[in-house]
Order: sequence, then C-alpha cells, then structure tokens
Amino acid sequence: MEGLLVILPPLFAFLVIAFWGRRMGDFPSGIVAVLGGFFSFLFSAYMVAVSLKEPVHLSLYNFLPLRDYTLSFGLFFDPLSSITSAVVTFVATLIFLYSIGYMHHEFGRWTYKFYAYLSLFLFAMLLIVLSDNLLGIFFGWEGVGLASYLLIGYYHQQKKAANASLEAFVMNRIGDWLFIFGIISTFLVFGTLSLPEIFEGVRSVESGLLMIPTLLLFGGAVGKSGQLPLHTWLPNAMAGPTPVSALLHAATMVAAGVYMVARLYPLFEAAPQTLKAVAVVGGLTALFAALAATSHTDMKKIIAFSTMSQLGYMFLALGVGDMGGAMFHLTTHAFFKALLFLAAGSVITAFHHKFYDIYSFGNLRKYMPVTYAGFVVGALALAGVFPLSGFWSKDRLIGSYYEASYMWGVLGTAVAFITAYYIFREAFVVFHGEERFRRVVSEAPREVPAVMTVPMVVLGIMAVVGGVFEGVYMKAIGGAEKGIHVEVAIVSVGVAIGGIVLAYVVFGGRYISAGSLYPSLRAVHTLFREQFFTERFYHSFVAKGYLLLSKGAFQIGDRGIIDGFINFSYRTFMKSVKVVWKIFDVKSIDLLLHCLAIGSFRGGKLLRNLQTGLLNSYVMFLLIGILIILGIMLYALERVEG
Amino acid sequence: MSIEKAYILLSILVFLIGLLGVMVRKNLITMLVSTEIMLNGVNLTLVSADRFLGRVDGQILSFFVLTVAAAEVAVGLGLVVSIFRLRGYEGSSEIVHLRD
Repeated sequence: MEGLLVILPPLFAFLVIAFWGRRMGDFPSGIVAVLGGFFSFLFSAYMVAVSLKEPVHLSLYNFLPLRDYTLSFGLFFDPLSSITSAVVTFVATLIFLYSIGYMHHEFGRWTYKFYAYLSLFLFAMLLIVLSDNLLGIFFGWEGVGLASYLLIGYYHQQKKAANASLEAFVMNRIGDWLFIFGIISTFLVFGTLSLPEIFEGVRSVESGLLMIPTLLLFGGAVGKSGQLPLHTWLPNAMAGPTPVSALLHAATMVAAGVYMVARLYPLFEAAPQTLKAVAVVGGLTALFAALAATSHTDMKKIIAFSTMSQLGYMFLALGVGDMGGAMFHLTTHAFFKALLFLAAGSVITAFHHKFYDIYSFGNLRKYMPVTYAGFVVGALALAGVFPLSGFWSKDRLIGSYYEASYMWGVLGTAVAFITAYYIFREAFVVFHGEERFRRVVSEAPREVPAVMTVPMVVLGIMAVVGGVFEGVYMKAIGGAEKGIHVEVAIVSVGVAIGGIVLAYVVFGGRYISAGSLYPSLRAVHTLFREQFFTERFYHSFVAKGYLLLSKGAFQIGDRGIIDGFINFSYRTFMKSVKVVWKIFDVKSIDLLLHCLAIGSFRGGKLLRNLQTGLLNSYVMFLLIGILIILGIMLYALERVEG
Repeated sequence: MSIEKAYILLSILVFLIGLLGVMVRKNLITMLVSTEIMLNGVNLTLVSADRFLGRVDGQILSFFVLTVAAAEVAVGLGLVVSIFRLRGYEGSSEIVHLRD
C-alpha cells in the first residue's frame, strides 16, 4: 500500500489548496504544494528500492464491471515506472520551490490557484506514469491536458496567453482523439486494457493487427509531446509563467508522450512499421525544431524548440529500437532542461517580468553569477559536452542511430551541432557582450533570492553527475548494455564544441558581424523563424478556413434556414393567436367582465342613496328589518304548528 | 278585557312611544331618553308575562336589562357629552356624519 502514498500527496495538496487556499494565503499554499511534491518523491524513492527487487502491482478499485471485462484502477511499479516517477517528483518539487520565488510578485492576487494547478498537474502525470492499465493512463493524459490548459493560460488577462492555452488544448484534443481510438483498438485486439496482460498477449498476436492500434497510440504521443505535425502549441505555450514551462518541458507534459511509447514498448516492438513512422516523425522533428530554434530571439521559445528537438531525438531512438537510451535521455533531459528554464526564469525575474527578448539583456554574468553558471551547465549538458549528463545519454542515442542506419546517424550528429550552436547563441547574447538593457533600465539587475537559486544548484549538480548512473539505469529498466562508441563520442563532442565555437565567433567574440551576414541569409532566417510556415499555415489556412466555414454555415444554415423557419413559424403563430384573441378573449370574456363591472358600479350608485348618515333613518331600517324577521318567524311558526 | 292584555298593550304603547322618539327627534339626549323608554316598555312586558305565567325568569331578566340600561346610559351620555364638547353646541344626530 506504500505505492498509493506516491500518488496521493499531490492530490491531497491540490484539494487542500483548492478548498482552503484562499483562507491560508498564497505563501502557505506554495509550501503545501512543495510538501506534496516532496512526500511524493520520498515514497517514490522508496518504491524504486522495492520495485528493483520485484515489480509491485496494486489493484485498487474495480469501478465498472462489464460483461467480459472489468474496468479497474490500479498502480504498477516496475523499475521503469518507479524510476520515472521518482525523477518526475524530484524535478517537480524543485520547480515548485522555485515557483515560490518566481511568483512572489503575484502574491495577493489569488496565486494559490497556481499552486493548486501545479499539484493537479503533478498528480495527473503520476497517474500516467504509474497506472497499470490504458484507461488509467488516459485519465492522467486528460488531467495533464487540463492542468496545462489552466497553467499556460494562467495570465488569462493577456490575449496571447489565452490564445496559447486554447491552441494547446485544441492540438492536444487531436492527439487525445487518436489516443482514445488507439486504446479502443488495442482493447479490440487484446480484449484487455491491463498493461501486464497486454505484454503477455503480444507474442500471440499477428504483427499486422498491431499496426493500427500502435499508430493511433503514437498519434496521441505526437500531440502530447509536440512533435510534427502537432507542434505549434509547444512554442506558444511559453506564454505561461516560467515554472510552468519548466514543468511542462522537463517532467510532466511533453515527457508523457515519450514515456507512453516506452511504457508500451513491447507492443510497439511487435509492430515494426509503426516504429519506422515513430523514427521518421522523431527525426524530422529533431531537425525541424533545431533549425527553428536558431532564428528565434525569445528567451523561452529557444529553449522550447530545443525541447521539441530533444523529444524528437527520443522518438527517433524509440523508432530505431533503443528504448533504454530514450528513457535515459528523457531523465537527463529533465534535469538540464528544467535547469535551463529556471535560469531563464531567473533572468526574467531579475528584469521584473518585462523583457523576454534575448537582445534586451547582455553581459548578465557580471550581475547574476549563479544564474549564469546554471545556464552554462545546462547548455553544456544539452550540447552533450563530456563529461556532463547530456553527453552520456546523447552519445548512446547517436550510437544507436548509427547502428540502425547511416542516415539517422548523420542526422543526429547534425542536430547535435545545431543544438550546441543555438543554445550557446542564447548564452552568449544574454550573458556576454555589451549591456543592452541599459538603454531601457538604468539600475543593474540583481541575483535572484535563495529560494530560486537553490533549486538551480541542485538541478545543476544532477545535470553534471546524472550521466554516471547510465549503467545502473539500463540494468534496472532492462535496456541493452552498450559500451561507449569512442569514434561516435569523439565526433559528437567535436561537433558540439564546433557549434559552441561558431556561436562564440558570431555572438560572443563578434569576429563575424551577424548584421553583415543578415541580408544574404534573410530568406533562410525567415524560413526557420516561421517554422517552415507551418504555424502560419495552421493559423491562416486551417484555423481561418475553419472559421470561414463556420461563419458561412452560420450565415446560411443558422441565419437562413433555422432562423428563417423560426421567424416564419413565429409570425404564423402570432397571427393565429391574434385571431383567437379577438374572437374569444375580446368578444366573450372581456364583454362578460365589462358587464359585471358596469352592473356592480351602477348598483352601487343606486344603493349608495340608502346611506343617509342620519341616525333616525338607520333606526327605521332596523325596525323594518326586525319586522321582516318577525314576520318570517311568525309565518314559520304557523306553518310548523299548522 | 283581562288585566294581562291591558298590561301588554300598555307596554307595547310605551315601546312604540320610545321608538317614535328615536325615529323622529333629532336631539341626541332626547334620543337617549327615548331608548330608555323603549327598554322600560320591554321590562313591563317581561314582568307582566311573569305575573301571567307565574314564574320568575322574566323578572330576573328585567333586572339584567336595567343593569345594561344603566351601563348604556353611562356610555351613551359620555359619548354625547364628548360630542358636544367637540362641536361646541347642542348638536343633533345630523352632526354625527355617519355617511362619510
């Protein structure tokens, strides 16, 4: 039952903050969220130790007994899921801690909502990671989608953020739609949703049958992980607060897609055609996003494209059959990507959330040494420089690519070069060079408080030493042991250093002026910046076309046909009602009422004369009355006696 | 004509005199006095009927009537006096605007 304690603290934190957050205040809400993440991390670390000996399967609740199959809720701790949950909760706890510093200027403006959403996000992610059946994964999947919608649109008073959250939600809906059809078709093939039963059943099913379910499931992963062609929401999601971006990119949201494919890897392995599609999508996205990252100037968008590119790497690795490498890269990537985002968030905090463009900073290493160190460590790890964690995981991936096909290997090396270039372009522009921010603000930026630097330092340590655990990790999750390919390692480190040198030459030392190169490279720059016009195509063709279609349908179908019919029937009804009103109401009921009214009015006028006001006449009436009553009585008496 | 009939006739006469007084006279005090005459006419009927039937119920009832009459005179006179005070002169029943 300890397993349940992994998943409950974030849910508990969410409920506590949601119901009492307003009374507790914003700072205690943040503390509750951090504690929720921390306890979850403690228990998942314990579960790692337990599940390494033997996988734990917890069947918790059967909620819908059907005729042949019972839908149930349960947790499944094998090394893969328990290690992933430990990494997720570790990174998430640090990000929660950081967000207390980052959101400090928002305190007093219902910021407790933010922590409630964060806890919900973590809970949903843990549901994906730990669930023992596909339906539970789907619940978590949708929970993550909801929480990301709420968090990306956290600054909902900004049009940009509201649009970005809507876009993320709609794009994810497309993926989720594919995902649920994938679940349904998997159920049709296997007759069960439970993961262990599916893995057992894989061997006895023809691989041709598995192609459609796996393709549909992969469609869900594409939507969630921001791969081509459902990628545009990921860079736009940067409209949310930076801790959200870090959480989204490092631990929770986008990792869910890769994790899901890795989780169902026995299924995917049995369908080689799907693996080819996974490899193609991943490889293309890796290159595409890396190219897009080279031309953007938004501090966070560059890192967002980098995430997309690295996720493409992981999918490519999954496609070529190296599940262990993909998951290990996911883990190291979680550390250094969170680190990069937190460093970017520190820079944004230091400038009071006013600037996001990298060209509005410059020479920050003098003022923010810890942030600078964090960013450089993250960038070196991302570039894959020896001996940081990124080197180990990336080297393994590129080695696998070369084993699979020379083409994929060359692609991986090329993307590694571009990655090193764009991330150090950002590093040099932001932290070196002249102090461009002086043009706008006079005061020098200050280093962020300890609540923000401590998570960066911890993540920085993990980003440096994370690679050492490669052997242990592979043994635990059952990935193939692979030695270092010395020639590949030398080539990738050389390529990474080449990229860094190129970035230094152009943006650090300014030996080559970027301005003089710009006119000749303008077309390429625009192409990359517009992401090969995919975003523009989606927005102006798909979305606008859909709007146009809806508007046309509204004008013709709604205004013309439905409203016309309603107006016509309304008019006809009114006319007939008027006729009925004239005949029935005016001529009979009203007449009767008028007669009654006039009759009683006239009668009253007549009888009013009796009211003389004289005592004498009243006495006379009294007498008359008595005489009448007396007469009646006498008459009645006579009748009785007679 | 027996003595009982004569008593009854007398009492009717007294009652009618009182009734006529109430109906015809306009002075409030006169009307009050006429009411008393009517009551006494009734009392006479009660007592003579008792005598005629040889019972005492009517006599007891006539005492009640006397008591009520005394109370009525007390209240009525009070009202009349207050009306006079209000109006300032010896008013008639016309002064009491029962209509409006």
